[in-house]
Amino acid sequence: MHIEIDEIAKTFGATTALHPVSLPIPSGALVALLGPSGSGKTTLLRILGGLEFPTSGRVLFDGQDATGLSVQDRRAGFVFQSYALFKHMTVFENIAYGLRARPRRSRPPEAEIERRVTKLLELIQLPQIAGRFPNQLSGGQRQRVALARALAIEPRMLLLDEPFGALDARVRKELRHGLREIHDTTGLTTVFVTHDQDEAMELADLVVVMSMGKIEQVGRPQDIRARPATPFVREFIAA
Amino acid sequence: MALAMFRAQKSPMPGFGLGMGITLTMLSLIVILPVGALLAQGASYGPAGVWSTVNTPRVWAALYLSFRLAFIAAVFNLIFGTLLAWVLARYEFPGRRMVDAVVDLPFALPTAVAGIALTALYAPNGVFGGLAKSMGQKIAYTEWGILIALIFVGLPFVTRTVQPVIAEIEKEVEEASATLGAGRYYTLRRVILPMLLPAALTGFALSLARAVGEYGSVIFIAGNLPMKTEIAPLLIVIKLEEFDYDGAAAIGIAMLLISFTMLLVINLIQIWSRRRIGHV
Amino acid sequence: MYDSTLNEPLLSPAEHAAPKWRPVTDESPLTKLVLIAIALGGLAVLVLAPLAVVFAEALAKGAAAAVTSLTKPEAWSAIKLTLIVAAVSVPVNAVFGIAAAWTITKFDFRGKAFLITLIDLPFSVSPVVAGLALVLLFGANSVLGGWLVASGFPIVFALPGIVLASVFVTFPFVARELIPVMIEQGRTEEEAALTLGASGWRVFLTVTLPNIKWALLYGVLLCNARAMGEFGAVAVVSGKIRGQTATMPITIEMLYNEYLSVAAFSLAALLAALALLTLALKTMLEWRHADQLAATRRH
Repeated sequence: MHIEIDEIAKTFGATTALHPVSLPIPSGALVALLGPSGSGKTTLLRILGGLEFPTSGRVLFDGQDATGLSVQDRRAGFVFQSYALFKHMTVFENIAYGLRARPRRSRPPEAEIERRVTKLLELIQLPQIAGRFPNQLSGGQRQRVALARALAIEPRMLLLDEPFGALDARVRKELRHGLREIHDTTGLTTVFVTHDQDEAMELADLVVVMSMGKIEQVGRPQDIRARPATPFVREFIAA
Repeated sequence: MALAMFRAQKSPMPGFGLGMGITLTMLSLIVILPVGALLAQGASYGPAGVWSTVNTPRVWAALYLSFRLAFIAAVFNLIFGTLLAWVLARYEFPGRRMVDAVVDLPFALPTAVAGIALTALYAPNGVFGGLAKSMGQKIAYTEWGILIALIFVGLPFVTRTVQPVIAEIEKEVEEASATLGAGRYYTLRRVILPMLLPAALTGFALSLARAVGEYGSVIFIAGNLPMKTEIAPLLIVIKLEEFDYDGAAAIGIAMLLISFTMLLVINLIQIWSRRRIGHV
Repeated sequence: MYDSTLNEPLLSPAEHAAPKWRPVTDESPLTKLVLIAIALGGLAVLVLAPLAVVFAEALAKGAAAAVTSLTKPEAWSAIKLTLIVAAVSVPVNAVFGIAAAWTITKFDFRGKAFLITLIDLPFSVSPVVAGLALVLLFGANSVLGGWLVASGFPIVFALPGIVLASVFVTFPFVARELIPVMIEQGRTEEEAALTLGASGWRVFLTVTLPNIKWALLYGVLLCNARAMGEFGAVAVVSGKIRGQTATMPITIEMLYNEYLSVAAFSLAALLAALALLTLALKTMLEWRHADQLAATRRH
């Protein structure tokens, strides 16, 4: 799905989190929002997901205004930094949650839910953990379960907030490839937030460098490396 | 001897002997010896004797009444207490801090004071009792009066166990539920309530245990009619006044067994929830 | 897998779009209002109404009548007795609470969970059963009690029994407040002080005590309120001897049963005022020392 961010601004009381920013995200792209903390990248992601409402501006999905669309109706697969798994539910129940939460007329039958959850567990290469609880999983497994849970609702896009932030270096590398593969298999427009420029450069098709609520530069990783547009970008990617 | 039972691993920290000494001496004098005396009295009376005391219609009626009403009161407190905890933890409104303090009043107010106040309120010539009378109902001196007293004394337990759990819920979990398509009501029912359940059940058990043994706030409003509105603790007092120590001990042991069972249930709930979701 | 038929939203945006956007973690304003109304209404009926009645009944025949009833010898001796009971049982429990919390949190030993269960036991024992147990141990018809009475030191139907009963029902209060706070604070500060050469007592007085003082005060407050107001256990062990073993709650019962409503409720109002004062102090403590007391709320 093509996403169009049109002059989006967000203020929290007296602080401005986002100056008006505009950004087209082509259908099927894997995009990194890269910046230090306080750059507004997470706010932008949350606005895309419908968790925040912009002070001004519009969000267009495939050309249609989606600014006022409720979270529930966006069908944006959202992976939280803390993963926000439901601790009292098994992995299976976590992944099946979105399907079971549907109104009866669009809810798949139990057998179909089971088939889909099994398939997703295979996709994240954890077929044997369906019966476990989140606190019995490793950090990397939790991240993948959160991803599978987001994919279960057949999202129109995938939004990830610091998806590798809580993991140690080795697992982080491994899961980067995992995310790339899942993106390539599903073909979903994917936006992830990170403060780690290596991660952004290695993984993304398109990197959006942000600072102080503004977009500093948008470009392919090699172009940003080769031609940083502002002093901030030069310094940030050199770090 | 007892000290040897609770021997500490080697530690550079001083004061183990003194601390454990004071703890065990007090525990023995205040709790273990008296409870032991109660059990000894029961033992010398014999299981058959205990059973013959408990197995009379009047005692059964009292135990059944105490239990049934304590259970209903605890269920009410489970629901209302959870709602109260939610409102206090999540909503901003003027006077919230005051209201939060008021929740603890049943803990702070002496039970005899609560007892005469509730009786004055719900007796036929009281404010609420008069209202009920005009509708042809009677509250004080009936089961309803006992129920109200038991609700009063158990009110804070669930709120106080659930409120901190609500405060610790990550907002992201609720947001995750919404991004997966769940409406607010579905999120409350399937995500939030199950997370509160272990704490709420702990509060429920505490409230139940308190209500089963409650005496001071109930005897004024109960009417104390044998077989009808006579609670189990009152029967103990009556037996004591008749110098029937065996009979009193028998009922006391029955109630103690009930309390132990509930204490066990509380602990099992906590172990179960810790194992499942990693916290209480 | 992603070729599903569900390519449009479940409901059209127009059908679902709220007139005004609100965070997904909020209920609708109407829901909030209804829940707040239920909570406040419930509390008003269940808790505030009885409280108000206490004062209304005490003042039913005017403030003068209420004050006069409190100056009667019967009321006076009850007030004095209750103060004595609290003055003895609260420090006893404070010492016990500190000793128990120190032992439990600063050392590792087998049977710790069992010890905590024993300390918590009085919470789940009916006060009447507690009183009964004390009577069976110390009463004149037991071996120990018979000997104590013969030696001129009766416990049951006398002050020591009332104190024991009060200590029993308030037994876990101080320990319960201290243990979570001391667990949270760990042992490192004490260990540091020890390496600097401080003696055990010095470590306790200069390191531990300042760290736990608010939680201790909090526990003492709750303990005091309960000790002064205990009815069931005291009713059983005191023998209810007018002017001698009748505490304030017991005297309230006697006066009430004699239809001396103003006198009963005046004494009750005094205890209710104490309860309110306890709550006010408790709220103030929680407000000013929220960080330290947060641990006690989590249990």
